[in-house]
Amino acid sequence: MFEYLNDSTTIKYIVTIGSMALFFVGLFGLLSQKHFIKIFISIATMETALFLFFIGNMFNKNFTAPIISEGFTDIAKMNDPIPHALILTAIVIGMAVLALGVSMSIEYYKLTGNTDIDKMNEMRH
Amino acid sequence: MSGFTLSAVFVLTLLKLLLENIPQSMHRAGDSLLELNSTDGVANGVTTVVVYFRGFDTLGEIAVLFIASLGIGLMLSQNKRCTIKAQSNFMLHTAAKLLFPIITLYGIYVMVYGHLSPGGGFQGGVIIASGVLLLLVSHRDFEVPHSFIVALETFAGVCYVLIGLIGLFTLDVFLGNFLPHDISQMGLLMSGGIIPIIYIIVGIKVGSEMSMIAQNLIKRGDDV
Repeated sequence: MFEYLNDSTTIKYIVTIGSMALFFVGLFGLLSQKHFIKIFISIATMETALFLFFIGNMFNKNFTAPIISEGFTDIAKMNDPIPHALILTAIVIGMAVLALGVSMSIEYYKLTGNTDIDKMNEMRH
Repeated sequence: MSGFTLSAVFVLTLLKLLLENIPQSMHRAGDSLLELNSTDGVANGVTTVVVYFRGFDTLGEIAVLFIASLGIGLMLSQNKRCTIKAQSNFMLHTAAKLLFPIITLYGIYVMVYGHLSPGGGFQGGVIIASGVLLLLVSHRDFEVPHSFIVALETFAGVCYVLIGLIGLFTLDVFLGNFLPHDISQMGLLMSGGIIPIIYIIVGIKVGSEMSMIAQNLIKRGDDV
């Protein structure tokens, strides 16, 4: 019944549409929410959408993982290792930025008792 | 309403562009790297790309992680450990003590076998930090010894740069593979020259930094 899901182009369409939807969910949250932590959650959602887009579009179900072992020595039949390596880097950097931002907002809340970005006017005068 | 329409048009246009330009058969940059990969005697292609071909980039990446950890430590280090009034429940207390060695062992396994199987330093380090986080949540008196973490981080960072400099002086390439990396050894634990050593170093650094970040974020002032 679901044979068309095995088609490589269908998988890429699903990945593209799904990651676009996730990205715009994150963008909507980023633009509409006022709370610090919700904004950071939105940024993390957008990052996740980009990771899914990269990995899912370079995925080919007929190919094996890029690990050479017994019986899997054909390099032309392996998935591309470059997107994996790039996304591994991006995940770590995104985690570092998220942790730093969350700790900054914790410290800001402790100093001012304020979690609303519209009320951040300490620098105005 | 017009703003909604405008953004809908924007989203649909972007989606149409993306769907029209889906590559059917892309030239893969990884193919040539996979061919080079076998000359280094490392089975896992992703490990070779992360640690060897992009080794300098990984050095910068753990520097970014270190700077984030440093910033969090600077901002949150004055706070006391949050005082949870209730003792954590018996199941959590016992299970955390039981699970911590297993989680650490699994993290070390993922780190050491990073050049043979999926996994590696970043993943193993994060697994070890999750075990530390479990202990921090369940034991209210537990604290990661600060001097131990400092020693581990310093050791790992200095070793990474030293290995790179030894490669520079012996092979004229920063992070050159100066240890024996014979292709016939591929698939064994002792293969790949400096690549597994560097991934273990990255794992130590990531694990200690993540543990420190978790500990600093769990600490809170009394007034919050």
